[in-house]
Parts: sequence; C-alpha cells; structure tokens
Amino acid sequence: MPSLVSASSTSLQEEPALYAERPEWNDVTPLSQYEDAAPIAPIFYSAEYKDATDYFRGIVKTGEKSERVLQLTESIIRLNPAHYSAWQYRYETLLALDSPVDVELKLMDELAVSFLKTYQVWHHRRLLLMLTRKPAPELKFIAASLKVDAKNYHTWSYRQWLLAFFNDDDLWAGELDFVDAMLTQDVRNNSAWHHRFFVVFQSGLREGETDRARIIRRELTFVKQNISLVANNPSAWNYLRGILDTKDLPYSRVEEFVRPYALTTHDSTTDLVDLENPPPPPGAQLPCPAAIEFLADIHEKEGGKDRILLASELWRSLADEHDMIRKKYWEYRIREALKRVK
Amino acid sequence: MPVSSPPPAPRPTPTDAFPTSTSQTQAETESILLQHIPSNADAKQGLAKQSHMQFLVRSLVQGFPSRYTSQDASQPWLLFWTIQAFSALQVGLDPGNKQRIVDKIMAAQHPDGGFGGGPGQAAHLLPTYASICTLAIVGRPGPGGGWDQINRKKMYDFFMSLKQPDGSFLVAHHAEVDVRGIYCLLVTATLLDLLTPELVSGTASFVASCQTYEGGFSSASQPYYAATPSPSPSPPPSSTSDSTTSAKHARRLLEKPRPPLGEAHGGYTFCALAAWVLLLPFRETEGEQDAQPKIDVGNLLRWLVMMQGTEIELGGFKGRTNKLVDGCYSWWCGGAFALLEALGVGGAGSSAPPAGPSSGEEEEWDDMDGKMVFYRVRFAPDTQAARLIDTLFNRKALQEYILYAGQHPAGGLRDKPPKNADAYHTLYCLSGLSAAQHRISVATSRREQLRKAWVAGASQDTKISESTLPEEVRMKVFQEALAWTEEEGGSLIVGGTENRVSLIMFFAFTRRMQNATHPVFNLTITHSEGLMSYFYGQNLPPRAK
Ligand SMILES: [Zn+2]
Repeated sequence: MPSLVSASSTSLQEEPALYAERPEWNDVTPLSQYEDAAPIAPIFYSAEYKDATDYFRGIVKTGEKSERVLQLTESIIRLNPAHYSAWQYRYETLLALDSPVDVELKLMDELAVSFLKTYQVWHHRRLLLMLTRKPAPELKFIAASLKVDAKNYHTWSYRQWLLAFFNDDDLWAGELDFVDAMLTQDVRNNSAWHHRFFVVFQSGLREGETDRARIIRRELTFVKQNISLVANNPSAWNYLRGILDTKDLPYSRVEEFVRPYALTTHDSTTDLVDLENPPPPPGAQLPCPAAIEFLADIHEKEGGKDRILLASELWRSLADEHDMIRKKYWEYRIREALKRVK
Repeated sequence: MPVSSPPPAPRPTPTDAFPTSTSQTQAETESILLQHIPSNADAKQGLAKQSHMQFLVRSLVQGFPSRYTSQDASQPWLLFWTIQAFSALQVGLDPGNKQRIVDKIMAAQHPDGGFGGGPGQAAHLLPTYASICTLAIVGRPGPGGGWDQINRKKMYDFFMSLKQPDGSFLVAHHAEVDVRGIYCLLVTATLLDLLTPELVSGTASFVASCQTYEGGFSSASQPYYAATPSPSPSPPPSSTSDSTTSAKHARRLLEKPRPPLGEAHGGYTFCALAAWVLLLPFRETEGEQDAQPKIDVGNLLRWLVMMQGTEIELGGFKGRTNKLVDGCYSWWCGGAFALLEALGVGGAGSSAPPAGPSSGEEEEWDDMDGKMVFYRVRFAPDTQAARLIDTLFNRKALQEYILYAGQHPAGGLRDKPPKNADAYHTLYCLSGLSAAQHRISVATSRREQLRKAWVAGASQDTKISESTLPEEVRMKVFQEALAWTEEEGGSLIVGGTENRVSLIMFFAFTRRMQNATHPVFNLTITHSEGLMSYFYGQNLPPRAK
C-alpha cells in the first residue's frame, strides 16, 4: 500500500508541496474556511496547512472516501495532530476502503512518538486495536513510549484500556513486574502507583490473585518498603490509604508502622529489623506530615473523646507547624471531629 | 518581629536523600519559583490588568501567530478563553466586535447539530461548550444574534448519538469517552434547556465510577459487561465488550469492576465534580437512596487540598500527585471548592478556627466605596467573623502564586515561569484568581425567589425529544444553576482593591450585576442568567439587597 506511507518526509519532497498544484487533485474544489475575508481573531496558518485544510473541507463536502483522502488526512495530521476531524474522517475512510490495519498501525508507531501528548494519536490506536484484536505487541510499544514520557496520561490510560478491554491472562501476567520496573526508575511516579492499584484492585480477579488476604499482605509489604525508601512520598501514602479504604480495613492495622515516621527524630532504640514494619532510613526527613495525618486519621476512626483529642493535637501540629499551607483544612478537620464528640 | 526582617525562606520539598527525576524537576521548579517571591512588601506585584488586556486584544484584533495552528480545531475555545478573560477583567466589547465573534462562532455550527472546532469540522462536545458560552457573552436573541440560530433539536440529537450504554458520551463520533466531554455536554444542555431523563440516565453512575482511590477523578472508566444479558449472578468480566460502539446486543453492564482509566487529575476532577453538581436535581426523582451512585466527598476534599503546593511553590495548585504546580489548576482545583460547598462540604461556619486566639495572619480586607460605578462590598466587622466564611484551601497563597508567578511580564498569564503566556492559561489563572478572591455559594434566599417567580411551561420550545423533563425537575435545574450568589463580605483581595477581578456591581439600586464567576459554567453569573432566562422563558426577579 504505497499511498499509505507516501507522505513520509522523503517522498513528500518529490511532490509539489501544495495540493493546489497537484494535477490529480484538480477535480476537487478547495473550500476556504470563512466567507468573511477578515474574520476576527484569525490564526496565521502556513500556506501548506491552509492548502491542505481547504482541500479537506472540499473532500468532506463531497463525502469522498478514497486512497488520496488517506494521504490528505495524513498531511493535515502531521501539521496539526489535534485536528480531530481529520482523524475521524481518516478512520471512516480506512473502514470504507477496508485498508490494511497493520500498515496504518505502523504509521501510528511513528506518529505516536512525535505527538505523544495528543488525545487523537492514542485514540486512533485504540480504534485500530479493536480491529486487529492483537494487543500483545502493544505492551512493549507502550513501555517504550513511557521511556520518553514516564507520566504521560494518555499512554497510561491506553495501557489500562488495553488490559481491561482484551482482558487476556497473558496480557496481565507481566504487569506487576512492569510497575516494579517503573517505580525502580522513579518511586515518585504516581502514574505507576495508580497503575498498580488498577491492576491489583480494580480490574477483576485473575488466577493466582484469588487469595485476597495474601494479596493484601503482599501489597501492604510492598508499600511499606517503598515508604521506608522515601518517607515523604505522597504517592505511596495514598496507595497505602487506597488499600485500606478499598478493603474496608482499619487504619490502625498499620499504626505500628506509621508511628516512627511521625516522630521528629529517628528512633535509634530498636536494633532489631522488623520486616513487617520497616523503619525510616537515616536519610528520611522527619517528621513526615503524611504520617502525622495518618495517625490522626487512626485516632479519629477509632473514635471516643480521648482519641479525638489526640487526633486534634496532631491536626493542630500540622496546621501550626508541619503543613501550614493547609491550615484551614486541618482546622476544619478539628472542628468536624469535635462536633461528633459533643 | 521587626517589620524589616525578611520572612524565612520556605522549606524545599523533602527529598529524603533519595533523588529521582520527579524530585529533580520539582527542585528545579522550586528554585525558579523562589526567585518570584517578592523580597519585601514594596516589591509586591499587582495584577497587571492593562497589559493582560493588551495581550488579549492583540490576538483578537491582529490574530494568533502560526504556532496556534495546533488550536485550529479549537477555534471556539480561543474565542471563549479570550472573551471570558475580558469578563473577568471587567472589559466589555463594542457591538461590532461582538457581532464578528457571533458570526465566527456560528460558522462552526455543524449542519447535523453541535459545534465543531471551526467551519467544516466535525461536531465535538468540547467546542460546543466553548461556542455556547461565547454566545452567552456576546450573543443575543433575534436575527444574527446567535441565540435563535442555535439548532437545539439537532444538537440534542447529536448528544444522543454520542451516548454509551454505561451513561457516558463520546466527545465526537468515533472519538474517546471522557469526563471533559460530559461536563461540556451537561453545561450546554443546562444552559439551553435540553436536559431530559433519557439524556442523563446512567451518567451520574459513570461519573462516580471515575473517582480513584486518591479521591480525585480520572478521564474515564472502563465498562465491563456480562457475557450474557441474563440477570443471573455476574460471570467474570467479558473480553468481548466494546466500549466505543453503542450496544448492538442487550449486554448487561456490570456495576463492578468499572476501573478508572488514568490517575486522579485536576482537570478531570473539576469536570466530574461539576457534572455531578449539575446532575443533583435529578437525584431525588431517581429510585431509592441506596441505589443512587455515590462519591467519596471526604476523600475528594482531601485530594483537592493536597493538590495545593506549599509555600515554596507559592501555593499554586498541581494537577496530579507528585507533579508540578501550574497556573491553570488555580481554576480546575481552586475552583472546585465552591462546588464542594454545593455538596455540603465547607461553607459558612465550617472553616472558623476551633478555639483560641487567631494566629495573627495578615489578611488584607478592602472596602470598595467611592469608585466609578456605585458598588461596595460590605465586609465582616471583625476578623473572627470574617473567618466564618473562609475557604478550605489557602486562598491567600493561591492569589500570590497567580500574582507573582502566573503573570508574564509582557502581558498574559501562564503555567509557570519561565513559560510563555497563552490564552488558555490567561483565562484559567484569572478564573482561579476570582475563585480565590470571592466566595460564591448557592443562596437559599435566591433559590426561593426563583421558585416563586417560576412560570411553568414557558420555554423556547420546539419539541426536542419524546423524553421530557418533569416540570418540577426542570424548575430545579434552573433554580440550582442560578441560585449561585456572591457572598457579601466574603472577599479577600491580596494586594488591595486594584487586583480585584469579577466584582459585584450595584446599579440603579435594584438591579445588581453579578460579575463573579459562576462556579459551574465559568461564565459570569450575569451572562449565565441572561442565557438561561431566555431559553427557559423566565423573567428573573431582581436580586434582593
Ligand atoms: Zn496548565
């Protein structure tokens, strides 16, 4: 299918730059955007872009779906990958022509790298995958694009969609290792933490995962170890909360672990290493506001006047010293909790 | 403490002696932001209204440079960002320019309903929102005014054609599902009186399913369907479901799992929460309370407050955990707090200090007497009372971020230094500034006034659907949308009155112009009132003093 790949940069040079100069486009009437010669707030398009989009409007008007439409939409997409109408029309044309999807996917491999941040690149890929139904090679492709941009929202949600949509055990099999690798690169990458939560807790039960008590122990150990690596990592603290919330487990279950992180100084009295409760490492900057907040939540959830007062003291210390930017919020927590004791 | 001593340098975000790429970019950003903290009170920067206005006028009159080609499919947005930023800066347009804007917007209306990113482009929910909101500002009824040329019936059909079995909507044909689109659709449908039970059925459940364990919302969720449509106990998730084509077979949607795709994100969170608020009038009419979808409001509040950066980040908001602060989240996150109040979180009384003396924070409260227009803001007689109506985020710090880091020296506002200004960040920084300066809430008294003045059955109507809204719900939609009122005495303006955006103007003693930003629509309250009262065929009672 040469026409599909003809707009690669080398072959473009051999053709006239403008569609208006190409004899094979003679039969199309280009449509300029506005009847008004001087609309308000115009964008100063390049001649190339104006030409291609004028021809695109001409094509949309006649409804033509042909090989050359693929070439035209590719030209537009390369100049402006956010041109969703060009993508939409391209997709309809691919369907109408019954075009080979693997060729299109190859082109997308190239475009995704250049236009990582556009919705359409990733969505078009989804549409193609629903046609090919061959998700396996995608995981590698996604991993490679996350090397370029480790927190790209579209890339991560595409990965999650792929897993959930095809829901094939082989696809899921490597996901925890993948998360480990991403977190080894950057333990603060919240997208990777979210992905782990998605895989473990939100996408249904797969074989080997049905012993939920074991899975919860595994996840608690995992997150505790990571907190003991970097104490002030909100992603890890949120993950810890997420596990307990989603399983309706009491926060007090990890009280012993959390306590040393809320202290102002490192506790040097224990020399036994407790694997269940890894301590803050020497480099950790204590106290960790997230740990103070967590302890306060334990007290509040346990309830009773004394515990609420303990919680209030901790919130007070956040408001006045350790997390002053959120003073209003901590004071709100105190008020709300005290209301419930009265 | 002597007045001249400089404030202590704010604490860098802890790295726990374990640098990663996240902590490195964070540290780089902090060192740049640190340079933008004014060294003393005199160096404090005001809001450069004049130069922001010039920045906006330049693009409107002269046009946008070629790098804006990337916005070619967002032309109604370019207009909306610009025109709504004018509203925040209290700048009006002359009739000639208004007309040119109306004409440009109307050229983007698709013959089959909805608006596209420009003429000849496919209809899409996002530019549809931007178009309708722009028309709310510059349009009018009558020939050429835009309002009567909106094809409501076709727009409704376009909306329904995007509807998915899980209650979500595609943003355009063959396009993705995401909560921005749902927000845009619900705002448009609310403004134009297009809401019906069939349009919104299942949508609240979809929105709720996008809340992540962190508390904020993701872009979308993935539906799973039972393998067979039988109502027997749920089989494992099917691998044959197709979320982007409407149900060809009567597949049964499973309540769980419905995993969020993507992590909690400020932009999606605003859209999801605003959509949730817009759907509130429908809740009482749906089945039993237990069957109603729920969101975890406490966790949402926690996530939102955690998005506010610390002192070294000048109190700007970030959009995701462990990411950088960015001026546009001033609105997406900062603006979400008023919406939470509509759900009963925060609000009057809830943020007063629990006990003890105030901690002596300097807050500047300004009176507005004696300015060009007759307006004034009554303020609370003492600080203690003033705190009763304070917000749950740090509104003072957010204003500082916008003033010190958000303003580009050459005009316009931005993500963060040293980035360029653009139209998008100019609007959302200004809207965020408005959200931080003023307090807007649903006023019971206004709701009551609107209820009393309601004229049943009045509307623009051409019949748009067989599915019709009970009059009671329709009234509720109208009432809830327009009961938002700026709280007098609720303003806190960092840097003094010159920095005020979106003020309340009082004139002719009875008619008050509410120029504050509507927390759901991001229009001024006055523009929201104008458009909605027209499409619902209602006369608005004057606001009581
Ligand atoms: Zn931004």
